[in-house]
Amino acid sequence: MSENRWSFPDLGLGVGLRTPHYAHILSEKPDIGFFEVLTENYLDTGGRPLYLLDQIAELYPMVMHGVSMSIGSTDPIDFDYLAKVKALAARTGALWISDHVCWTGVLGRNTHDLLPLPYTEESLKHSVERIKVVQDYLDRPLVMENPSTYLEFAASDMPEWEWVARMAEEADCGLLFDVNNVYVSAYNHGFDPVEYIDAIPGERVCQYHLAGHTNKGTHIIDTHNDHVLDPVWELFGHTIRHVGLRATLLEWDADIPPFEIVHQEVLKADDWRRQEVANVA
Amino acid sequence: MSLEQPKLDRLQRWMQEVVVHPGTVEEAIASEGAEHEFPSERLGEVVTPSHSMTSAERVGVYQGMYLMRMEEALETDYPVIRYHLGDVAFSHLIEAYVQRYPSRSYTLNRLGDHLPQFFLDEPEWPQAAFLHDLARLELAMTQVFDEQESPVLSAEELEAVHPDAWENARLEPIAAFRLLSFRYAVIPHLVAFHEDRPSPSPRRRAAWVALYRRDYSVLRLELSRAEHDLLKALAGGTPLGEALAIAAQSQKSSHQRAQIFKWFRTWIAEGLFTSIEA
Repeated sequence: MSENRWSFPDLGLGVGLRTPHYAHILSEKPDIGFFEVLTENYLDTGGRPLYLLDQIAELYPMVMHGVSMSIGSTDPIDFDYLAKVKALAARTGALWISDHVCWTGVLGRNTHDLLPLPYTEESLKHSVERIKVVQDYLDRPLVMENPSTYLEFAASDMPEWEWVARMAEEADCGLLFDVNNVYVSAYNHGFDPVEYIDAIPGERVCQYHLAGHTNKGTHIIDTHNDHVLDPVWELFGHTIRHVGLRATLLEWDADIPPFEIVHQEVLKADDWRRQEVANVA
Repeated sequence: MSLEQPKLDRLQRWMQEVVVHPGTVEEAIASEGAEHEFPSERLGEVVTPSHSMTSAERVGVYQGMYLMRMEEALETDYPVIRYHLGDVAFSHLIEAYVQRYPSRSYTLNRLGDHLPQFFLDEPEWPQAAFLHDLARLELAMTQVFDEQESPVLSAEELEAVHPDAWENARLEPIAAFRLLSFRYAVIPHLVAFHEDRPSPSPRRRAAWVALYRRDYSVLRLELSRAEHDLLKALAGGTPLGEALAIAAQSQKSSHQRAQIFKWFRTWIAEGLFTSIEA
């Protein structure tokens, strides 16, 4: 166990900032470690969302989480988009900027889905080069999230965890380690999630994600619409034993309940964190 | 051609063709665009089956979610059209719309920008002319919601204008301002949506509306044609004296002419202007 290599702080427990919770957050000022904002929600608005974001950013540490960087796409990098991301980070004082190991579209189109990559030498080299360009432009390390996926390409010639670990090392980028995504992909593809976790370079992990999912029987969908399930909590415990304590965020993006319920859910992570601290002591 | 090591760009072109196809996943995999990249009978050499799903079923997870995601985004921007059409007709509309105008932006907020144009492209679409007007109203509302905040012209700034300068003074509207004219009476549909009443049948009747934002809320003023024409002239930079003179000519009685100054005071009070150049 160690700190991450950039000494990004352990912000404790946070939740994703969502519209239905704005009023509660500003009136009640809940005791919470940080908020994560969905980057694209604030890039092209000068209205109420940005006005409220400015107020919340004055009260809490912020991190930014995007869905449109499309780092694995074979389309050109969108520097207009990156310029807006950089400006929003400056405005909110975001401690780090994250996005996903995925691609979202090609030929100028955007499917607005986090589409899977084949885990090949070609896709690794391609993604590493692009992450370096983005990091140079943003003038800060990029923090990349491991994906949840529903298919595997026959072309893949290495397991996802090897690809992710090599990406982080070769691009010198951070990792946002989504424990639920590992569980989802492990179920869908039949691998051992513990093997995945054990292969992750802990010093590159800057943040954790936790979320609920929906089991369809034949496969699991990463729906972010419910409480975190017990097997995911177990994996979270294993992760912090392997990696250490990091800023830990609960994502709840659909069927969003009142803020108190989301807050209570992420507070469960504190039990696992305290247990880890006790074990170390 | 070997499928053992397909290039990344080819794999991505294939998957996008399949994901955005509006038919079943089988139709998508067998579509011309997808077949151009990989023959459908060799799907198993592109996507592996899992312990519980075939290759096609696994691709279908992504393909099935695409239109749902597009529809979710557009029902946020066009809730009144969805309310008016109902779920089935709205889904049918979105399926056709995103085929013609797929997202080319990093944000879903821009996905609906072409919906008014879509109804011009498709004049045979049921109620196309009415839906064109309603789409323009809803698009303008989202634009006003997202526009940059502007300072509002204050009473003190107006009072500071020398009386001799009024004739040639020009007003600048706030960024979050849109002036619209319609061939159909669309406001009753907006009201019906908000009051959860049945959406009325489309009625052809000219209507004029100003949309603006105050305290980060989108508001509207329903206007007469004369109000619209004067406000359009002012917002377009016509000097105050000239705009008011033209408006006065269109008002026959002294009572009607007096109304012009009442309109003007209302627009100033509502914060429609950001500055005056005198």
